Amino acid sequence: MTLLQVENLKKVYADGTAALGGIDFKVEAGEFIAVIGPSGAGKSTLLRCLNQMVGPTSGKVIFQGADTINAGNRKLRQIRREMGMIFQGFNLVERVSVLTNVLHGRLGYMSWRGALGLYSKSDIQEATRLLERVGLGEQIHKRADELSGGQQQRVGIARALAQKPKLILADEPIASLDPAASEVVMNSLYTFCKEDGIACLCNLHQVDMAKKYATRIIGIYKGTKVFDGTPEQLTDEMIELIYNQNKGGGADGLSAGEGVNDSSRGLPVQKETVLA
Amino acid sequence: MKGEQLQRVRRTKRNQLLLFLIILAVLTIWSAVGTDFTPGALWGGIGDGARFLFVDLMPPNVSEFPGLIQPALDTIYMSFVAMVIGSVIAGLLSIFAAATTSPHPALQIGLRAFSAMFRNIPVIIWTILLVASFGLGKLVGTLSLLIVSIGMLVRCYAESLEEIDMGQIEALRSTGASYWQIITQAVLPQFMPSLVGWSLYNLEINVRASTIVGMVGGGGLGFTIQSGMKLFQYKEVSMAVLLVLCIVLVTEFMTNRIRERII
Repeated sequence: MTLLQVENLKKVYADGTAALGGIDFKVEAGEFIAVIGPSGAGKSTLLRCLNQMVGPTSGKVIFQGADTINAGNRKLRQIRREMGMIFQGFNLVERVSVLTNVLHGRLGYMSWRGALGLYSKSDIQEATRLLERVGLGEQIHKRADELSGGQQQRVGIARALAQKPKLILADEPIASLDPAASEVVMNSLYTFCKEDGIACLCNLHQVDMAKKYATRIIGIYKGTKVFDGTPEQLTDEMIELIYNQNKGGGADGLSAGEGVNDSSRGLPVQKETVLA
Repeated sequence: MKGEQLQRVRRTKRNQLLLFLIILAVLTIWSAVGTDFTPGALWGGIGDGARFLFVDLMPPNVSEFPGLIQPALDTIYMSFVAMVIGSVIAGLLSIFAAATTSPHPALQIGLRAFSAMFRNIPVIIWTILLVASFGLGKLVGTLSLLIVSIGMLVRCYAESLEEIDMGQIEALRSTGASYWQIITQAVLPQFMPSLVGWSLYNLEINVRASTIVGMVGGGGLGFTIQSGMKLFQYKEVSMAVLLVLCIVLVTEFMTNRIRERII
């Protein structure tokens, strides 16, 4: 069964900004998909529409056969707990311990005990084991804000893994990290997803990282999917197209993707570092 | 060209300042006439004032001290109880009154209005109103302090809650956490320092306000001061005033120490 199915997903924000203009794709179990595209292309909105952190305007998101958009409160919690999320700013609760932050991944499975912070012994053992696995076994009782950026992001990964997810949504996980820490974080994310058979949708700025880790790459431009293929299919012309579309120079590169739908909007060029 | 422009700007600035000073002078004279205030009147009262301060009130009657211990304790109890119960109630209400954590905007506006009423009616008026229904005593003093504490704390707490990092809340929401789980696990840790800080500040305010509350029938040292004045027991009054000063200073000192420790 397809893990996640997205059909004609649209999002228009209250101020009239059209962030997503009808996106379709499917995610199969175990895929590691990189989502690339310039800033403001709608990558973050896309991820947040999948777990309903942002409510889409229209379209369908089917996760393990369940309609997430029309899910009630209880059902939505069940869906969310099987989709881990990793953030650009780590989003750890800074004033509590690293261990507690990982235990937060269990909240979706708990009721009032979770509100009181009464985590079960097995959850605590599992969280400790996860922290050892991401290489932070020594730091479990430190306050989260005492860790470095790379360490904090690894806690973020452990928190997502604690959810025992089927899918991890990673929103620019390495955008605020230095190159060395980026490498460690991407490596951990990739390895754990592979080992545990978790599918991953990862927003990335760095095309080289996307090519290195992804089993499949989706290119987003102005809220529409302009590329969907293997890393090998992502040619330099295609990259140029995704990032600098209104230059209109790479029309030949279209054969690799599914076609660019609109290059005549006269948009401000958003220059990004495409390749290292 | 440029120098000319600069001069013009300077001229307008000078005219603005002149206008401001004229308006200030007119308003001051007008209010002084309205209140019959003259520097002479101030001078005329100095003699009587000094005699009252230095002859009638001095020296404080230290032998009254044992009798003042109970009212002094009452003042402290009232302030403390109003602070503790006030912060529990206000803590709960402020979660619904802050834009970041409120389940519904209507609830938020309603609670803001409600707490504004509590806070903006002065504590002395609450006491007078409550004395009419509950009679004199500490209960009324505590209740009026409690009402004003809730009013103040809901606002201060809610404003702190509106400054918390929403990323941490987003992260817990994405794990499938429920509303109350998010409140206790992501909001509370961030909110704790301001919660403690504002509560301690509230305690200081309560200690000061409790004497005024006492004067209109709320019990404690304020009540002692008021009855002493009526019975012309001025030396006892000055002893009580001294005690109030001590309590206020000690409270301030202690809350500062606690604040340093915790934050």
